[in-house]
Parts: sequence; C-alpha cells; structure tokens
Amino acid sequence: MAERVVEVRSLVKQYESLKAVDGISFELYDGEVFAFLGPNGAGKTTTVEILECIRPLTSGSAKVFGYDVTKREDVKEIKKRIGVLPQDFSALDKLSVKENIDLIGGMYKKKLDTFEVIKLLDLEDKAKERFENLSGGLKQRVGVAAALVNDPQLVFLDEPTTGLDPKARREVWGVIENLKKLGKTVFLTTHYMEEAQVLADRIAIINKGKIAVTGSSQDLITNYGGRKVLVIRKGGEKLAETLQGLYGDTALNHGGDVIVKVDDVNEMWRALSTLTDMKMNREIEIQTPTIEDVFLKVVGGRITEEGELK
Amino acid sequence: MIRPLVIFLAVTKNWIRSRSGLFFSIMFPVLLLIVFGAIFSGGGGGGASTLFVQNLDRKSDGTVTELSSAFVGALNSTKVFAIKDVPADADAKVWARNNLGPLGGNIRIVTISKGFQDDLLNGTLKVRVGISYGLLSETYQYLTLYGGLNETQRTIYEQGLAQLRQYNEILPDSRTSLTIALDASDQSGAVIKNIVINVANAFNYGLIGATNVIEFKDDSVTSNRYGAVDYYLPGIIAAFIMTNGIIALTSNTTEFKRRGIIKRLSITPLTKFDWIIGNVLSQTLLSIMLTAIMIVVGWIVFRVQAIPDALTIILIFLGSVMFSGLGMVLGGLVKDVEAASALGNAIAFPMMFLSGTYFPMEIMPSYLQSISRVLPLTYFSEGLRYALIYRYTEGVLTNMALVSALAVAFIILGSVVTRWKEK
Repeated sequence: MAERVVEVRSLVKQYESLKAVDGISFELYDGEVFAFLGPNGAGKTTTVEILECIRPLTSGSAKVFGYDVTKREDVKEIKKRIGVLPQDFSALDKLSVKENIDLIGGMYKKKLDTFEVIKLLDLEDKAKERFENLSGGLKQRVGVAAALVNDPQLVFLDEPTTGLDPKARREVWGVIENLKKLGKTVFLTTHYMEEAQVLADRIAIINKGKIAVTGSSQDLITNYGGRKVLVIRKGGEKLAETLQGLYGDTALNHGGDVIVKVDDVNEMWRALSTLTDMKMNREIEIQTPTIEDVFLKVVGGRITEEGELK
Repeated sequence: MIRPLVIFLAVTKNWIRSRSGLFFSIMFPVLLLIVFGAIFSGGGGGGASTLFVQNLDRKSDGTVTELSSAFVGALNSTKVFAIKDVPADADAKVWARNNLGPLGGNIRIVTISKGFQDDLLNGTLKVRVGISYGLLSETYQYLTLYGGLNETQRTIYEQGLAQLRQYNEILPDSRTSLTIALDASDQSGAVIKNIVINVANAFNYGLIGATNVIEFKDDSVTSNRYGAVDYYLPGIIAAFIMTNGIIALTSNTTEFKRRGIIKRLSITPLTKFDWIIGNVLSQTLLSIMLTAIMIVVGWIVFRVQAIPDALTIILIFLGSVMFSGLGMVLGGLVKDVEAASALGNAIAFPMMFLSGTYFPMEIMPSYLQSISRVLPLTYFSEGLRYALIYRYTEGVLTNMALVSALAVAFIILGSVVTRWKEK
C-alpha cells in the first residue's frame, strides 16, 4: 500500500451563504495522478488552495504529508514539499524563462539546478526568452518548471490546460506523464473529461462542493458508464426489429444505422451472429462508455469547453 | 535575508526592462527638470516680456519729443521688457495683435498721450514752485514765532510769498497720463503694471530733483550663489520619489496581484515581510538612481551645485521607505490596476502641489498651508532642500525624524493590509 500523501476529512469552506466546499473527504497516495474533475465553481481550486495553505478552511481537516494546513509551523513544512502550477499561471513579463524559474527557486533552501529543470521541461531553446514573448503552452511549461524547481514530492496542477489550443494541451499532457514517470504525486484539477481519463490514476468527480464519485477511470466507467453500444451501419428497419425482439434497447437512427446497447461481450457476439444469420454484410462499430458518460450519469449534465455545466 | 534580495533583483530587473516604467520614473523627471530650469533660470536673454509702446507725443515734424523718448528709454533700461514701437497712426490693439510674432503671448500696450512733454514740464514747474512756497512759508512762520525777523525782513518775506503764490496760481494744473492696456487673463499683468508705475515714479522724482534716501543692496542667505534650478531640483526629486512609490509601486502591486504573481509567490516559503522588504529595496535603488541622474543632468545643463552628502542619502532611503510603505498600503486596499492608478494619482498630485515642492508654501492661503503641514511630502522635500542646498543639518534632522516615523508607520500599515492569504 502506497504512503498517504494527502488526507482530507469532512472539509468545508463557507463564504457567507455559499458553501464552496461541502464536507468532502478524499486521500492522495504517493506516486499517483489524482484528478479533480468538475465544472467551474465546483470547489476544485478552493480545495487545492486550502491544501496549498493559502486559503483557510471553515471546518474539517486537511493534512499534507501528515502536516496540518491550519498550523503555522506545519505550513512551513508543507510549503517546502509542494510544487504548484496555479490556475492562470503568470510570471514577470520582462524576465526570461530562466530568471523566472530562478525567482521561484530563490525562495527555497533546497532546490534543483535551474538548467536541470529547464532541460526536464524541454525549454533549453527558450531559456533566455522573455516570458512575455512565449506562447500559452510554453508559459504553462515554465509554470510547471517553476513548480518543480524545489524538487517537490507533491505537485498541484490547477487547470493546467485551460485556454490552450489542442497542440499545446497535448504538450502539457506529455509533461504531466513525465512527472508521473519521475515518481511525483500529482493533484490535477480539470474540467476536461478526456484529460482526466487519459492522465489520472484516480478521478474524483466534484460538483457544487461535493464529491459525487471517486475511483479509477475504468472503475467509474464500469460502475457508472452504462452499457457498450454496437452500431451496425445501414442495418435497416428489419434488422432493428429483429434485434429489438431479441435484446430490447435497440434503436434505428435517421441514417438507417441500428444501435444496440449490450451489457457484455457475450451479448455483443449474439447480436453479431444474428447479423450473420440474416446474411447481412454491414460495417460495425463498437462504442465503449467514457468518463463523459460517467459524468452525465452522476452529475446529470455535461461540461462545456469553457467549463460551464450544461 | 536571501529571499528579499531575490525579490529585489527580480522586480528591479523587471522595472529596468520596462520602457514605460523607465520613462515615467527617470526620463520624465529629467525632462521636467530641464523645462523648469529653462523657464526659471532666466538665462539666454530670451526672457524679456514684450511691451508695445505707442508714443503719441510728437513734435510738428513728426519726431517724438525728448521727454517721451527718455521715458521709453527708461522702460527699456529695466531689461524686463522687449519694447515694440507701435506707429502713432495705428490702432494699437489691432497692430499689437498682428505683430505678436509666431509664438503669440500676452498683449500689453503702454500709450504715451499727446502733450506728455508739455504737461510734464508744466506740472513739474508747478510742483517745484509749490515746494518752494511751502519751504519759504514754513521758514517765515518759524522765524516769526521766535521773533527772528525785523519789520523790513518780514515785508520782504511776505512780498516773496505773495509773488510765489501768484505764480503758482497762474501756472496750469497740468497732469499727464499713461495708459496701460492689459489682457484680463494675463497672469503677469499686475507685475508688468507695477514695473511701469515704478519707472514712471522714478521719472517723476528725477524731474523734480528728488533723490533716493533708502538704498537697496543685493545679498544671499546661502554661502554659495545658487540658481533657481538648484531650488527646484530637490523638490522635483522628492516629488518623483513620491510618485514612484505611490503610483508606480501601487500599480505594480495590483498588477502582480491581478495576474496571480503574488499568489504564486505566497505558496512558496516567502513571507509577506520578505516581499515588502524586496520592493522597498528596489524603490530605494530607483530613488538613488533618479537622484544621481537628476544631479548629473542638472550639472551638465544648468551647472547645479547641489552635491548629496551622507545625510541626503539617508534621507532619500527613508523617503523611499515612507512612500513605498504608502504604496503598499494603497496596493493592499485596491483590487484592480485602474483603481490603483486613479487612487495613486488622486493622492500624489494634490500632495505634489501642496507640499511646497513647486511653489513656495508662503503664497498659498493659510488653510492650504495647514493642509500642507500634514502631508508627508512637505517634510521630505523640505529636508531634501535643507540637505542639498542650505546645508542646514538641524533642519535636515528634524524633517528626517518625521519622515522616519511616517516610514515605520506606513511599512507596518502596509504589511497589515497586504493580503498574503486568500479569503
């Protein structure tokens, strides 16, 4: 069993009448990538900032490496051990990439060599470039480099790809995968389903300050994703009626495709054998549920590109 | 002590590489010094005010009379005016407007009326006769009172007095007049008018043979001979150390706050106090650079004689701390850059003009002088002037004590209102 790095119990953050975080509990284990997946205003950043010791909690408890985030002496220890890429990361515009990383590194007694970090993030060519001249993706990489300069055991990445184009987003994903390879524990917050599914070992779906479900993406899909879908292109009305009779839950779309929802592989084979029995040679497609289906099931909505719940 | 130094280096580099920051912090004060110096140094001979003179007192051949010409010469000898003669047959106001020159300016017209010389001569003679009569009359009364006159002498005195009185009555009661036309918006109009009146009075006294009993001599309260720019230099330096602290630092702090840079730093072991010290050190370096550049430019362009000593450097440090502290207070209170800039300007500009930085406090109404006495810039600029110009150590130390107290107060207040944790 891996060591527990973060332990949160019944955490509440109240702003007057608004409960931003509403009694959540979860843990992070050494070396895992843990994702908080939820829409804007779900309480992701508030939770992360409480763990980063820059926002006080209202009630409950939060410990990082066993240190209490509410105790002054413990906070010093926590700050030494964590690296942070805040939401909308920014740095001093007129300083170079190296100078900005040096600035953050200068705050720690124990730190990595700046060039080592620059190399790790593949920023050698941009080391002397001013921060203001970098693209969005490169700025995020500088942010990650700054988060790693104190060689932290735990790295918080708060919405690291928000606002980036798909290419830059993939670049950041590569960086996060590298962090995992380096054995870092990563706490990732995101509103991108695919990002959480691709990168995280475990996902907590959070909405309105409460955690709806927690688990690995596979477990969540298995438990909440619903049935697999078999699509038979141009199957036609007759096939649809036959499969409906045999399995139920079959539909015919406007293009003449037959859509059958199946529970397992056996059911899928039986549906396909029906196709063979009817001597029909059709193109088929198997659609497996995703985290988006899980989210739809447990939250009852989808998240837009901008992070809003619809 | 390492972390404040890291902050100091980073924010200083960030500022030095910003063209707009560099312009408003260093170049703008230097330009202002040059402009102020050029306006108030009085050098270059271009400082004389244009005065249009229309001389209507002419002889039959059209030439001006001797006395009217002498009066124009007297005006010219003040070196205050660049005299422009208006033709006698022209409409003076229209002619003046058409002959102001490409740069324009205020129209000031002195008109010497026709008969100026005759009236002046007759008027002067009547005055002289009147004075003679008065003196003789007083002497006669004195001698009569103390019995110093016999009958013959008394008769001679009385005949003489009667003849003088008759002569005085015969002489016409002539007075000549000068017309001075000024623009109502002319701020220097009152000064110009007084100078013309003084010249006219001196002319009058000269004609009746009076001499000056009181004579003025020029002296200086300082041991060296300083120019006007020497007096403006400490004020401009003080004012821009103030604006750099209040406006630039406040805007920077709110900008760093808006962009999450302060939040990012607060996640590290950096403390709020480290952050404040780093910024104060950066402002101090900026202030010392500003002072050095201003003095060097002032020396090259105007030969200013102000040389900073150790007390000046200490005072500049304390002033920088004071205004950085005030900047931190404002930066902590406002949320966005626009509000920070507006608040900084709203505080800095009135303070700049009410603290005796550009205008002597003595010319302000007493209620404004009372306000200026509670403004921190008053003590800083006064102390800097004492340090750089008067070498008045006691005055420097008194102001330094006040600046130190305010510096401590603002730094403490700044560290209280600077938010290092989210809500």
